[in-house]
Amino acid sequence: MSRLEAKKPSLCKSEPLTSERVRATLSVLKGIVTSCYGPSGRLKQLHNGLGGCVCTTSQSSALLANLSVTHPILKILTTAMQNHVSCFSDCGLFTAILCCNLIENVQRIGLTPTTVMKLNKHLLRLCISYLKSEVCGCRIPVDFSSTQILLCLVRSILTSKPACMLTRKEIDHVSALILRTFLLTIPENTEDHVILGKSIIVPLKGQRVIDSTVLPGILIEMSEIQFVKLLPVKKPGSLKVALFCASLSGDLSDTGEGTVVVSYGVSLENAVLDQLLNLGRQLVSDHVDLVMCQKVIHPSLKQFLSMHHVIAIDRVGVALMEPLSKVTGTRPIGSLGSVSPSTYGSVKDWCTAKFGFKHFFHLIPNEATVCSLLLCNRSDTAWDELKVTCQTALHVLQLTLKEPSVLLGGGCTETHLAAYIRHKTCNEPESILKDEGCTQTELQLITEAFCSALESLAGSLEHDGGEILTDLKYGHFWSVQADSPSIVNWSNLLSRCGCGLRNSQEELSWSFLRSTCHPFAPQTCLPHEAAGSANNLTLDCFTAKLNGLQVAVETANLILDLSYVIEDKN
Amino acid sequence: MAAAASVKAALQVAEALESIVSCCVGPDGRQVLCTKPTGEVLLSRDGGRLLQALHLEHPIARMMVACVSNHLRKAGDGAKTFIIFLSHLLRGLHAIPDQENGSLVSENSQTLGRHWKNCCRWKFISQALLTFQTQILDYVMDEYLSRHFLSIFSSSTKERTLCRNSLELLLEAYFCGRVGRNNHNLISQLMCDYLFKCVAREGGFEEMFELVGDCFVELNVGVTGLPVSDSRIVAGLVLHRDFSGYCPADGDIRIALVTETIQPIFSTSGSEFILNSEAQFRASQFWIMERTKAIMKHLQSQNVKLLLSSVKQPDSVIFYARLNDISVVECLSSEEVSLIQRVIDLSPCVLPQASSRCEISNTAVVKFCKPLVLRSKRYVHLGLISKCSFAPHCLVLCGPVQGLVEQHKDALHGAFKMLRQLFKHLDLNYLTQASDQNYTSSPLIYKNSRESNQLPEIVNGSLQRPYQGTVVKNKDKLAKPQTYLKVYSNLVVPSIELEKHFPCSTPKVTPMDTYQTNETLRCLSPNKTGIIDYGEPFPESNSANSTTENTRIKISYENLQVTKIAGKGSMLPVRYKSREMCSSRSYCFSSIPAGSVLPVGGNFEILLHFYLLNYAKICQQSEEATVGVIVANALLGIPKILHKSKKGNYSFPQMYVRALHALQSGQPMGSRQTGLESVVGKYQLLTSVLQCLTKILTIDLVINIKRQPQEICDQDSEEEL
Repeated sequence: MSRLEAKKPSLCKSEPLTSERVRATLSVLKGIVTSCYGPSGRLKQLHNGLGGCVCTTSQSSALLANLSVTHPILKILTTAMQNHVSCFSDCGLFTAILCCNLIENVQRIGLTPTTVMKLNKHLLRLCISYLKSEVCGCRIPVDFSSTQILLCLVRSILTSKPACMLTRKEIDHVSALILRTFLLTIPENTEDHVILGKSIIVPLKGQRVIDSTVLPGILIEMSEIQFVKLLPVKKPGSLKVALFCASLSGDLSDTGEGTVVVSYGVSLENAVLDQLLNLGRQLVSDHVDLVMCQKVIHPSLKQFLSMHHVIAIDRVGVALMEPLSKVTGTRPIGSLGSVSPSTYGSVKDWCTAKFGFKHFFHLIPNEATVCSLLLCNRSDTAWDELKVTCQTALHVLQLTLKEPSVLLGGGCTETHLAAYIRHKTCNEPESILKDEGCTQTELQLITEAFCSALESLAGSLEHDGGEILTDLKYGHFWSVQADSPSIVNWSNLLSRCGCGLRNSQEELSWSFLRSTCHPFAPQTCLPHEAAGSANNLTLDCFTAKLNGLQVAVETANLILDLSYVIEDKN
Repeated sequence: MAAAASVKAALQVAEALESIVSCCVGPDGRQVLCTKPTGEVLLSRDGGRLLQALHLEHPIARMMVACVSNHLRKAGDGAKTFIIFLSHLLRGLHAIPDQENGSLVSENSQTLGRHWKNCCRWKFISQALLTFQTQILDYVMDEYLSRHFLSIFSSSTKERTLCRNSLELLLEAYFCGRVGRNNHNLISQLMCDYLFKCVAREGGFEEMFELVGDCFVELNVGVTGLPVSDSRIVAGLVLHRDFSGYCPADGDIRIALVTETIQPIFSTSGSEFILNSEAQFRASQFWIMERTKAIMKHLQSQNVKLLLSSVKQPDSVIFYARLNDISVVECLSSEEVSLIQRVIDLSPCVLPQASSRCEISNTAVVKFCKPLVLRSKRYVHLGLISKCSFAPHCLVLCGPVQGLVEQHKDALHGAFKMLRQLFKHLDLNYLTQASDQNYTSSPLIYKNSRESNQLPEIVNGSLQRPYQGTVVKNKDKLAKPQTYLKVYSNLVVPSIELEKHFPCSTPKVTPMDTYQTNETLRCLSPNKTGIIDYGEPFPESNSANSTTENTRIKISYENLQVTKIAGKGSMLPVRYKSREMCSSRSYCFSSIPAGSVLPVGGNFEILLHFYLLNYAKICQQSEEATVGVIVANALLGIPKILHKSKKGNYSFPQMYVRALHALQSGQPMGSRQTGLESVVGKYQLLTSVLQCLTKILTIDLVINIKRQPQEICDQDSEEEL
């Protein structure tokens, strides 16, 4: 009998954002994400008192996944960020900080949510259309004939994750590896649409980062005993491969819902084993050299195959099945009946390899877009961080392939964009005022809130108490070390801007970022040679940042629009 | 524990609810965040959802919520307006001083306690409200309001073509109240595009609305992590799962649908399979394999490239399918299967059990069949070729968080419900009143619930006896020479509440006659399609003179025969008015035409307010007038809230004065608002609220039971009693 229990009434709170508790928790969250941002960001140690390992990180994906937030508003914010990260891998902290900044700034103004949302959306539209336009001064088109920009992009991503604990030399090595891995997944003869291959990250913890390497084909880890057994079989040349997805363990298949009555003396196990051995005989007579199985191979069959010098590898796992069938050109066999010859595949060569203390069986394909990235790092947590970073970088490269442009990093995009928006709303406010039906003052207030949210986002790259400047020509981001003499010739003290594109010897004038300066028109249209010449730029993924910007503004709007929170207490 | 229910208590409850819902109403409304016990977070501006999320405890509040959800099931919109209107009505009722309605209270009840007196008073008012809802409201709607109606169709001919422009306006106004302020333009545009893409042929809108309304869950895909502006429409059907085995195919692709596993199994449930030897086991395994192979071969020879299955298929089936270049999609839900069946008219294949040969004839052609990747999740994308008036398209709804995507889904689903209502005619019937009616000067409204139950039976069986009983009963009450007005609620057609008014001064004679006329009415009822109901209110003259009465009955009898002929002649008696009837009342049947709309922003409310006040002025009956005024004033609450944030020339008082002025001088009402809203929806809302109010007013005690709810068993409880 079901027990009926009365539902507890829900808790209903009005105007949630005005409550002190919500503000306090929001500012705590903001503090956490802001302090992690950028190459000099502070690391967070996440420690769960109830178990699990300690995780040292500064990445949004690890951070947000492990934080347990209870307030519904924070939940909205963090899930929005997590959803963004799971789509684009990059720019999670950017989105989170921008969203927090926007909420905080807008709350301080105290305008009605309707106006705020309308104008925020309008400013967002301005940003997007500028970033996508030809004249955009902070976007560089990617030329795939040289690897320079792509390498800079990967290096920027690695640099911005201090928890990977890499030295400069290691960063160079790993970024080159990542780029090579990416290039290996691109098919050589492309038709009308490109299907990218797959890269498999193979863990090798406790080794030096410099030992990391990338190999074409697939590495299958095996125990030392298997490894020793394999050594005498070694013969050069190509192999004929059979790949099974059905279990070869000899268990009975599903017999249906009814009962099966077996007479005394009839052994079904024997029957199945006979069937397996028949299969083995067929494989041997078909001159198959390598049998791989997703599940378990019966020991008798294994024995039989090794007697006939056929290599048998089982328990491959479902994750490797697709790359394996791609590398070998086989169709995974799903039945124990007679195998048609068309399902066999082949590999060019194979070898055994030992990396660190691990033994691998290495399949070298004829031509396939599958490669294995052997990734080494000293400690477990640093390896985990490095692995996520590599995945991010690979994803970002794929996104860049789809949308071939990158944005200037190091805070320059944000300050440039803020300068552009300020200038635009100051000089031609009529169109906005007419469209949205608001007053000039309201527009000014919201623009200020929006732009200062962008600028303080750029400012949070600086964690060591330094000053932040912006030049009045390009609107780029310059940081100067703390405790520098107050009145000096800036051009001597500064060297390069945040992204590394601009030099301080270019006859620029600077102002402090947070000071109220007169709106100026930042120079648009990047000269082409500028993009090519500089070889040490800091760059950001265009697609991820654009989406992050949109998601941040939309989420902030959503949270600002809340008038009630109804919490179900059941 | 028993607490006296009063208007005051109900008003307090309604006001508390009003304060919550009024923040989300209209284009300037804001969002509410709801958390579920599971930890999910949901954004909503949907009144019904908010009220449910509150899990209210107060009994009156729970009743209101029940009424709201009842209304929503029917109309799909208007929960917030419901609460606002209800609390305004209660406020109006609460403000009536006691003396004004003193005349309504019959003398014998004055000896009872104060509370009971109050209850009686509220009961009379509730009766008056019911009368108002069933008669005056329809009358005002038809007589006055209908001339202001606009239509969503571009031409008024039989073939109704939907005007895209007005549809856009309608949807925009709808989504203004349902989704976040920054997204309503986008969502309404998306919906409009979707509608026009989905309609396969002219005039197929009704069928399409029905199908989309039923299967909306299967026709959209939610994607989180992308901005809302990335939402789009994709042609074809997107199934919420991945291929079990995918083989790329081009050209002529045929699909087949199965509902059972293709591979035969050793034994089905309830049967026994006896294995006597290993050879037998091997042979049967071989047979099973060969058969699976044969079926797949056969499918391939039929050019089938895609196999849809509602159950999980064994691995070997997928293996053989792949060998034969057939893609497989497994574990389709029954809703998905029925949607596919409805769209392409494909019935599942039946696999013969015994013979090794099988004939599969049920296949259909699709344009394409490919995987669709949305945010690293893979879906099956099918280009179905429609065989009905719905051209399959799917909505891909994006949003930064799941809660927002859900909100948009709900709003779109609600919009389909609203449109479905809009495309239907709504019937109105009422009685027009001629000049003077002496008998209603101080009427006692008397509801005989027993009779209302019996009336439908009367028509079938032997009828004299119950009527006799009534007569006797009536006689008792007729000690005072007063007129009784009996209210029969129509039980047969619950959707349109038809009231039967039965004024009779000499009950001895009339019940017989009534019966006869009732029978004639009965005869013509089956021919009609619910537009004219069998329970046609029978007008009974109220003269005290019994000699003239006979003739009058005859006349009205003739009139009814005329109706009968009319009813047989045409199935669509849109408007029937028997003005020549000598009785003082005549009955009108009319309807709000399908697709009627009015400009948004309180236009409907102000119009109705104006005409109700006018009606109340000319109406002599005090309680009808009072109720009319109360309703009219309560109606203004909605435009007041809608114009709350507007200033200057567009503030509510300014707008109100302007509108009244325009109406008095007969000019068209100038409206700044551009959106449109459905008249039917508004009308249904009004009637639902009035019904809810009647319910609230008729309750006198709230009894609190502290015990586990028990299984309700009707027969047992009756026996115990």
